[in-house]
Amino acid sequence: MSTISFFMDNIAFISKYAAAHFSLIFTAVIISLLLWLPVGVLVSRSERLANAVLGIANTLYCIPSLALFSFLVTIPAFGLGRKSALLALVIYAMMPLVRNVYQGIKVVDKNVIEAARGMGMNSWRILREIQLPLAAPVIFAGFRITVVMTTGVAAIAAFIGEKNLGRLITVGMNGYNVDMIVTGALLISLIAILLDTILGFFERLIIPRGLRIHRG
Amino acid sequence: MIELVNITKKYAGQEEPAVKGLNLLVRDGESCVLVGPSGCGKSTTLRMINRLIEPTAGTVLIDGKDIRETDPDRLRMGIGYVIQQIGLLPHRTVAENIAIVPRLYGWPKDKIRERTDELLELIGLDPETTRHKYPAQLSGGQMQRVGVARAMAVDPPIMLMDEPFGAVDPIARNHLQDEFLRLQSVMRKTICFVTHDINEAIKMGDQIAILDRGELVQHGSPLEILSNPANDFVCDFIGYDRVVKKLSLCRAGSISRKDFCLIRESELPAAAKKMEEQRAEVSFLVDGKGVPRGMLTAKWLKDNGSAFTPKELKALASQGHKGFIQEDTLLRDALSLLLELDLDYLGVLKGETLCGAVSMADIRQYASGKEGD
Ligand SMILES: Nc1ncnc2c1ncn2[C@@H]1O[C@H](COP(=O)(O)OP(=O)(O)OP(=O)(O)O)[C@@H](O)[C@H]1O
Ligand SMILES: [Mg+2]
Repeated sequence: MSTISFFMDNIAFISKYAAAHFSLIFTAVIISLLLWLPVGVLVSRSERLANAVLGIANTLYCIPSLALFSFLVTIPAFGLGRKSALLALVIYAMMPLVRNVYQGIKVVDKNVIEAARGMGMNSWRILREIQLPLAAPVIFAGFRITVVMTTGVAAIAAFIGEKNLGRLITVGMNGYNVDMIVTGALLISLIAILLDTILGFFERLIIPRGLRIHRG
Repeated sequence: MIELVNITKKYAGQEEPAVKGLNLLVRDGESCVLVGPSGCGKSTTLRMINRLIEPTAGTVLIDGKDIRETDPDRLRMGIGYVIQQIGLLPHRTVAENIAIVPRLYGWPKDKIRERTDELLELIGLDPETTRHKYPAQLSGGQMQRVGVARAMAVDPPIMLMDEPFGAVDPIARNHLQDEFLRLQSVMRKTICFVTHDINEAIKMGDQIAILDRGELVQHGSPLEILSNPANDFVCDFIGYDRVVKKLSLCRAGSISRKDFCLIRESELPAAAKKMEEQRAEVSFLVDGKGVPRGMLTAKWLKDNGSAFTPKELKALASQGHKGFIQEDTLLRDALSLLLELDLDYLGVLKGETLCGAVSMADIRQYASGKEGD
């Protein structure tokens, strides 16, 4: 009960935190998409490049978020605040996005590509008209993971000065304000679950029609 | 015209080249079947013609022009390409799949639509019901047909077909082969056709090129190859039934003889005499409407004829009442019938009328003849 009244009493700054949280998620996801989708397409062209890039992505993904944030704030060009937060989120998004684009493109039936090439389609057309549409469900799955992960990691950016919902937890921890901690934790979880559910709904729509048909 | 001049292809890391110094000429309107055991370089050869693979050495000429002078995508747009796995785009409808190359050429929508329907009709699929289907909604045979239709969409003069009917059951394959031959007899395209099935090669090819470990071991018409296999490899590849296979290249009409005579039932007692007069070896018994009812051979009459009453003669002649074939019957089937009915002669019909006779000896002579004389 007291959690709800805490929420009601502080709705003004909580919604400011929420807005900051969303804007961080949104910016990070947009930058990640713009950066990693083309990289994913690029590495699908060369096995060697793919191995190298996916190796790097994987290694970066393994770094615990608190550690990564800490490294970044020590770099003068980034420091405390949004720049470091964004960079960390974009680095984490590399793994699910690049990997899924690469895999999505790679699992497209080789024979379909061979036939298309044999008919005179150029690589750009094959990418646009065959590989991307057929890889879309896998790419979208990577996007969905990215959004959920970004929501969670963005909260941790409160440690490096981001004023978002994560701050309810860090500040709440300092003064051991249980209502504040619970409000923050609940809101972050709810947002992540909500975003995942919405995207899950879209994921089904994005499967090309011809693939949704099952024989029998 | 497709010319392969001294083509060699060595894949990276390969000790022996996949294709070695291959020379091959496919004339306009001719279908050349590349045949050989798995891994002998058939697909590699085919894919060097549309530059999906670049040869390590040698030149491919199309209509006298080096294909390296043409942009690869342009080149491929002008050559129909069918592969065993078909490779229909699963997210596109049948009509959209067929429209791929026309779209590359930038045809207007209504022209594409018209052509798509025309092609669907041509390959025996109903445009109304098939047009909007996705590949997953087609049977294997239907997919193969769509694959062939797609390759023919802009009516390219050259078609490359890599085991195009390899993925369907034997009955469907036979059917597709027959249909394709029927189309080809009208279209007269220049075709390079790959198969590992010698029977398919014999059936589909004007010319057959037999490959073994990357090398051309024999090139010639099916008849030449079946009559004069170049070496033991070719012999083994063709199989023990080489001669019987040869019999499937020839139709009864083309070796039938004319020295037969027709007799009515009333003439039966005089049959021997009539045949002697006409120097015929066999006489066919026909009824009032000219429909064949049986046969008598000169040899048989000479041995036994005088001993029988007319009624017995009729009964004996009637034993051969099934021994009639159409002039387009393959000699292989004629032989089978001769053996089945235990006869020496078969009557050859053109529609309803008798136009010749074929004997066991005729078939034997054809089978043992070299170069099909
Ligand atoms: N991309 C490749 N890289 C390396 N070696 C290859 C490649 N493609 C084919 N080969 C090799 O070249 C040889 C000829 O292959 P090819 O595919 O032309 O055979 P094929 O006659 O079509 O056989 P099949 O009847 O099994 O299709 C084989 O030994 C094969 O292993
Ligand atoms: Mg092959």
